[in-house]
Amino acid sequence: MTIHKKLMQLSAASLAVITGFALTPTKAVAEDVEVLLFSMPFTRALAELEADFEAKTGLTAKIDVIGQDVFENRITLSFTGKTGDLDVVHAPVIQLQRWVKAGWLRPITAETAAMATKDDILAGPLDSFVVNGEQWGLPFLAGTGMMAYRTDLLSEAGFDEPPATWEEMLTVAAAVKEKGTPALAMRVAPGQGFNMFVYPQIMRAYGGKFFADYPTDLTPSMNTPEGLQGLEVYSKLMNDYGPEGIGNFNFGEVTAAMQSGQVAMIIDESGLIAQTLDPEKSQFADKISIAAVPSGPAGRSPAIAVHGLGIPADAPNAEASFKFIEWATSEETLTKIAISAGFADFTRASVADNSDVTERFKSIHPDFLSLRVQMLNDAIGHYRPLIPQWPQIGQAVGENINAAVNGIMSNQEALEAADEEIANILAE
Amino acid sequence: MQDYVGVQPVFQRNYNRMLLPAVIAVGIFAVLPLAGMVALSLTDFHLINGWDKEFGLKNFIRLWNDRRFMSSLNVMMLLSVFGVIFQVLLGLLIAVGLEKIVPKWRFMRGIFVVPFVVPAVAVALIWLSLFTPTLSPINAFFDLFGITVPAILTTQYGAVAAIVIADTWASYPFVMLLILAALQGISGDLDEAASIDGATKMQIFFRITLPLLKPALLMVALFRFIETLKHFPLIFIMTNGGPGRTTQATNYYAYIQTFQSSNVSYGAAIAVFLFLFAAVISFYVARANMRISDA
Repeated sequence: MTIHKKLMQLSAASLAVITGFALTPTKAVAEDVEVLLFSMPFTRALAELEADFEAKTGLTAKIDVIGQDVFENRITLSFTGKTGDLDVVHAPVIQLQRWVKAGWLRPITAETAAMATKDDILAGPLDSFVVNGEQWGLPFLAGTGMMAYRTDLLSEAGFDEPPATWEEMLTVAAAVKEKGTPALAMRVAPGQGFNMFVYPQIMRAYGGKFFADYPTDLTPSMNTPEGLQGLEVYSKLMNDYGPEGIGNFNFGEVTAAMQSGQVAMIIDESGLIAQTLDPEKSQFADKISIAAVPSGPAGRSPAIAVHGLGIPADAPNAEASFKFIEWATSEETLTKIAISAGFADFTRASVADNSDVTERFKSIHPDFLSLRVQMLNDAIGHYRPLIPQWPQIGQAVGENINAAVNGIMSNQEALEAADEEIANILAE
Repeated sequence: MQDYVGVQPVFQRNYNRMLLPAVIAVGIFAVLPLAGMVALSLTDFHLINGWDKEFGLKNFIRLWNDRRFMSSLNVMMLLSVFGVIFQVLLGLLIAVGLEKIVPKWRFMRGIFVVPFVVPAVAVALIWLSLFTPTLSPINAFFDLFGITVPAILTTQYGAVAAIVIADTWASYPFVMLLILAALQGISGDLDEAASIDGATKMQIFFRITLPLLKPALLMVALFRFIETLKHFPLIFIMTNGGPGRTTQATNYYAYIQTFQSSNVSYGAAIAVFLFLFAAVISFYVARANMRISDA
């Protein structure tokens, strides 16, 4: 055989191999259940329990945990590509309306109704997965807003109690900052799950709202005197009393600032607040206490986030998928993770009643579990509007709010821009 | 039979057929997706709402009325122009330094190349931590002396500068390597002759070396310019497009439209615009390069 013939055969073979790879379906790993979650204490702990699932069901699972930033893109590609490469997906309630409208999830109404332990799941988180009368997922996490504060730093500044209102927060923050420590850190980085997880707590406390009368009248209504007051307080707290660089802080930086003693108070999600109280993860755990999210003239509105597990519409084996969901959200698994990882946002009543769990959290803080329940009771279900366009609206509003806090535009301009952009998105 | 210049006689007969796999591969992996993107940009596909029956230039007309798109072009040009200037200057400086000024330090080349092999995500994380005051060792050091280093990621031009700095750090080795190769192609006799004629080292550099480097500089600047149009990981990780939207370059805006706003066709239109923009720039730079080379 001549050299050129050999070369041609080699080239053709290479091409065949390359195109073969490109055209082969993406599901190459032979696990029974492929799971994609985004990173948070619960999901990271769950990923370490793959062997438990196999022992319990005889099925194998591969649990991939990726960053929240990239999760949305990864899942969108999988859903729209209809690759069938995933059996179970992390399903934040805030995305649920959008995913259901797009037909990306498979309902699990009948399977849920047949569960023997269904009534043990907290009703609020369970019902938040009902859209158009169908159940689309089961919850594993119900997080809420909470404050963590340094008792020693507040005491040095002359305060024995944490601020109960946002007005008090301004006073306390000024006094703490005066003593030389940044007073308060909250998320400011733009995003519907970033600054738009924490900012509505202030906005709603001052009477601000997204829409004129949700859900019947969706006229954008952020630019009101109440909304402006809320944004002014948020901007002032972050700019005047926050740590250097707060304008780019996300939950990671907020939590780390508290754990490393660089800030006196933080307000963030309950599961992350629990991490600041854990002596293994926090240098100043013995000096940190917890409190309710401050209230305002219109009351208190703690943040709420419910996350669960759902089954993609194109999942090849729905029965195995549901078995995984049932196991991952079971009393046994939630209890195990509550104890091992200090996971506080569990969604089953039996876990809250478990003596080992209550002991675990008493060792972190005696009031942690009761404060969590109080905050969940105070939170409203539509803290972030439950409409399919929310992810897009939340991103746009979050960018404008971030611009205001960082002085790129005024508070008033940011709210005007937010209203205009919400209207445009809803009109699309 | 046609004779192909530079092709060995044994390969002459089947030259076209031997090119076929490469042509097919380029067709499948480059032309086909590009054609798909152009077709998509002419439709109205929304991830949630599905397909619309309209087919036309609507998305391209929308571009010219979209303030966010126009603003993203400004950001892109800021990042690209300043990025390329600093990368070329730094790469040139180090290459000339290693080759001409202190040749005995050539062994340092390997060290200077290190940033080039660091993945973009790691580059972004490194610089994010350096520019985040509560995490940064730079801030911790200056704090010891009571000096507060401002947080540049939270100001409009500071955030742009931060991305340019990170990109310059990661990309100057590419420029350095190409300039080093070009420098090694310049005969030492020219320097020697000029030196005998009484030219100083500065005169030799500016009158002889630099003009001879022009084609290489132009090409490396073009490569880097096209690369900077594709900025994504640095923006995504370091600033998330903020503060506000001040670091949302056009490429990042296309991502936002596609994945966050679900406007797939509009995102494709932005991508097509970027492709055409890069193609036009490449054409003019290549033509200029030919003129310089021929001169």
